[in-house]
Amino acid sequence: MVSVCAVAKAVGVYKGTITLKIVIVGAGEVGYHIASRLALENKDVLVIDSDAAAIRRVSDNIDVQTVIGSGSSPMVLEEAGIKEADILLAVTNSDEANLVACLVANMLSPSTKKLARIRAADFDNFHNAFRDKAPHIETVINPEIEVVKTIERLMRVPGAVDVGEFADGQIKFVGIYLEKESMLAGTRLSDMSRHIGGKRLLIAAVVREEEVIIPRGQDKLMGGDLIYFISEEERLLETLSIFNKHAEPVKRVLIIGGGRIGYRLAIKLEAQSIYCKIVEKSADRCAVLAEKLNKTVVLHGDGSDQGLLSEENIGDIDVVITLTNDEETNILSSLLAMRMGAGKAITKISKFSYFPLMTAIGIEQVVSPRLSAINSILQHIRRGKVLSAISLKGEQAEALEVVALETSEIVAKPLRRIHFPKGSMVAGIIRQSHIIIPTGDSIIEPGDRVIIFAQRKAVNGIEKILAVKLEYF
Amino acid sequence: MHWRYMLYVVGCLIVFFGLTMLVPLVAGIIYQDNSIQSISYAMLLTIASGLGLFFLFRRARASYISQREGMAIVAVGWSAIGLFGALPFYLNGSEWYLVDALFESVSGFTTTGASIVDDIEALPKGLLLWRSFIQWLGGMGIIVLSIAILPFLGVGGMQLYKAEVPSPVPDKLKPRIRDTAMILWKVYAIFTAAEVLLLMVGGMGFFDALCHAFTTMPTGGFSTQNGSIAQYNSIYYDIVIILFMILAGINFSLHYQLLRGKPLVFWKDPECRFFLAVTLAFTAIVSWDCWGVVFPNLGQSIRYGAFQVVSILTTTGFATYDYEQWPAMSQLILLLCMFLGASAGSTGGGMKCLRIMLCFKFCYKELFSMVHPRAVTTIKLGGQTVSEDVMRSVLGFLALYMGLFGISTVLLAAVGVDFVTALGAVAACIGNIGPGFGIVGPVGNYADIPYLGKWLLIWCMLLGRLEIFTMLILLVPEFWRK
Repeated sequence: MVSVCAVAKAVGVYKGTITLKIVIVGAGEVGYHIASRLALENKDVLVIDSDAAAIRRVSDNIDVQTVIGSGSSPMVLEEAGIKEADILLAVTNSDEANLVACLVANMLSPSTKKLARIRAADFDNFHNAFRDKAPHIETVINPEIEVVKTIERLMRVPGAVDVGEFADGQIKFVGIYLEKESMLAGTRLSDMSRHIGGKRLLIAAVVREEEVIIPRGQDKLMGGDLIYFISEEERLLETLSIFNKHAEPVKRVLIIGGGRIGYRLAIKLEAQSIYCKIVEKSADRCAVLAEKLNKTVVLHGDGSDQGLLSEENIGDIDVVITLTNDEETNILSSLLAMRMGAGKAITKISKFSYFPLMTAIGIEQVVSPRLSAINSILQHIRRGKVLSAISLKGEQAEALEVVALETSEIVAKPLRRIHFPKGSMVAGIIRQSHIIIPTGDSIIEPGDRVIIFAQRKAVNGIEKILAVKLEYF
Repeated sequence: MHWRYMLYVVGCLIVFFGLTMLVPLVAGIIYQDNSIQSISYAMLLTIASGLGLFFLFRRARASYISQREGMAIVAVGWSAIGLFGALPFYLNGSEWYLVDALFESVSGFTTTGASIVDDIEALPKGLLLWRSFIQWLGGMGIIVLSIAILPFLGVGGMQLYKAEVPSPVPDKLKPRIRDTAMILWKVYAIFTAAEVLLLMVGGMGFFDALCHAFTTMPTGGFSTQNGSIAQYNSIYYDIVIILFMILAGINFSLHYQLLRGKPLVFWKDPECRFFLAVTLAFTAIVSWDCWGVVFPNLGQSIRYGAFQVVSILTTTGFATYDYEQWPAMSQLILLLCMFLGASAGSTGGGMKCLRIMLCFKFCYKELFSMVHPRAVTTIKLGGQTVSEDVMRSVLGFLALYMGLFGISTVLLAAVGVDFVTALGAVAACIGNIGPGFGIVGPVGNYADIPYLGKWLLIWCMLLGRLEIFTMLILLVPEFWRK
């Protein structure tokens, strides 16, 4: 009988929602992962790419429609049904191809919402112009800017392996590993307050053995867990002290790899008067960097060269950030730098298949331009008023910051009377820059910002209770 | 391999299939014939077996089905359904041997339409409807139907779909596989309803109209009459059935586009053009060949010629005339039709027009590059380049098809079947047609084939319906290796 109910429910869900149609141009790593996420959420997805092998990888593994062809060709876009599409995502490797795809889509179907990934710094000042003028790109996604922001946050929060922001940075969302010898290891959530005295700790999710758990009062924390908690900006350091992490000011930084991200980061660090060195392999690129950067020391050499690192006093460096285009070099350089005494290392990794390996290797702090791009895109695809969306490690769960709309199902009644889908919880309510830790009796008022944690399978249900019939469709 | 999950899916399929037995059961109850008992027992047995598998493996879950698991589910599922589909026959009376019941059932599911029943009209109505209904289920594919209806098959639906749909490059009409499957079944059901209506307008009773529509749309070929369509001797029925056989022989994604208001799709699709041109050309040749020899006037010659060419080319297998009395050239054209088959993505069998077209193009390309050794050429179809992978699988398919045909004829002759019958029976079974030549010709049936031969032909029918690879891969040792 249980299964019959499940079937009926699934059929109900399937028929009940008006499906969003999304066209994705580019079947690279970003396009592929966005497509697989959205397909699991029962959205109508169509992927366009000119590379038959890339398309095959998509059609073999994901339940989406595919078209082989150039995403900037009007014929191909028309064949893909751009006129009925709600959203166009242009995420090919080429900025120009993405721009042209949006331009053509704008001509064919002005009502389609367009998002494009554009990485070149030259376009930085034109993002608003792209929205207001011809291609009418709703949002330009620049993962490099996002990655630089993430690196800065990781540098500032000691011990954190993942830092996100809600409410324009007032609320931080931090992932941290619980050490085996920590006093919290082995305690139940309900007994927590006794252990930490008057301090506040709001644990939203726990990742244990690659599995995301939304914990309840009965659940115990264990050494080795990756714990996600939410905290106000001003209390962050206090909260971190619970985990025995204390802030040490970052004074010296070594960047390995002087590409676009390295350059952007160096400029930011210069502005904060942090002493910064860049190691870059290509002599030509070094010349360009030296010309553009004022205080930063530009070094010509290989980041995995032990001699160079010890020559530059690697032991005194607070943070090493590896940003070359080669994943393996980044991993090895980070490990080498840590071994040689650097404070901590932040590693750029793009290949998703490497993420599960990182803890085993001993690299904790990882940034990924692709994951950043996916996060910014998700935020714009979610229905309802979603301010930001952050996926947790391994993409199994998502933290959403949403505005509670007056007409939606979640306002004006106690939380325990709202039917939240299984595997989701309200982690915090932000009212006029105060964070409220919700209980079953809390009531969400219209205009509140609500932080919701949801496992992947619950995202669809969450969207349903957030989006009001009149709001979008 | 996720064995437990695969058996769970097969269990679901069997339960679902058991429920479809309600259809003939209702017919049996309405007509109060002696099929009620056997069908209800068969239904209980089927559902019980399915539920057994379902509950035994209900905890098994998989987040992903690989292509070979998809193929294994489809192959095992079809074999199981063939077996359970035989129960209503087998339990009906002592004159049904197991192999006969199985032959009739598999012949139904694979839309072959080869029968071992001598006196069809003597069968109870419930079993008559069951024979037709299983053809209808098998035509568009019971797994495609399950994907459309059962939501939990969403995991790996694409792999299952690819393994069942008869096409080298399955079309995906909608982003989600479930929607695609739903559309195909809707189009299929609409056409079936239209045919029932048109046959009834011509005066056929509802039961016979339903049975014939159930066997025309899947290009099956079972009839409720001993003399097939010839028994009615009506030009109107001939024309209606020719029309629907042609529709069933065309790729169903084209029908979908047609219904969405694109009238020119049949003309724009190169395979469909080829299929219609071949139909016209062969009809013309056969009619001309028979004119004056078998039929005194041209009109009759065209009527019977067209019906037989369309019936064999689309692999339906209805008969309005004993074509074994026709001149040799006409008979050979019909033999060619058996191999050629209908379009890819249709309900028809055979090698499929698409593959033959690609094969011709490939041969031409080879000749061309002998003349211009440095020429860079690609094979194109309708302006689209055909990838190397597709070309390789097409050539592999054609080679396997001919190879298995050759081996099977020799084996069939080895169990004591004569030369012409062996050729005709294997061609008709592997192509899912039905009537062949010799004792299995349009006026004969498969009752007199030795038992071993029937087992062989059952295997051939399954091979043909699942497009060889899906069935044959079960025999490859590498497939079972961990």
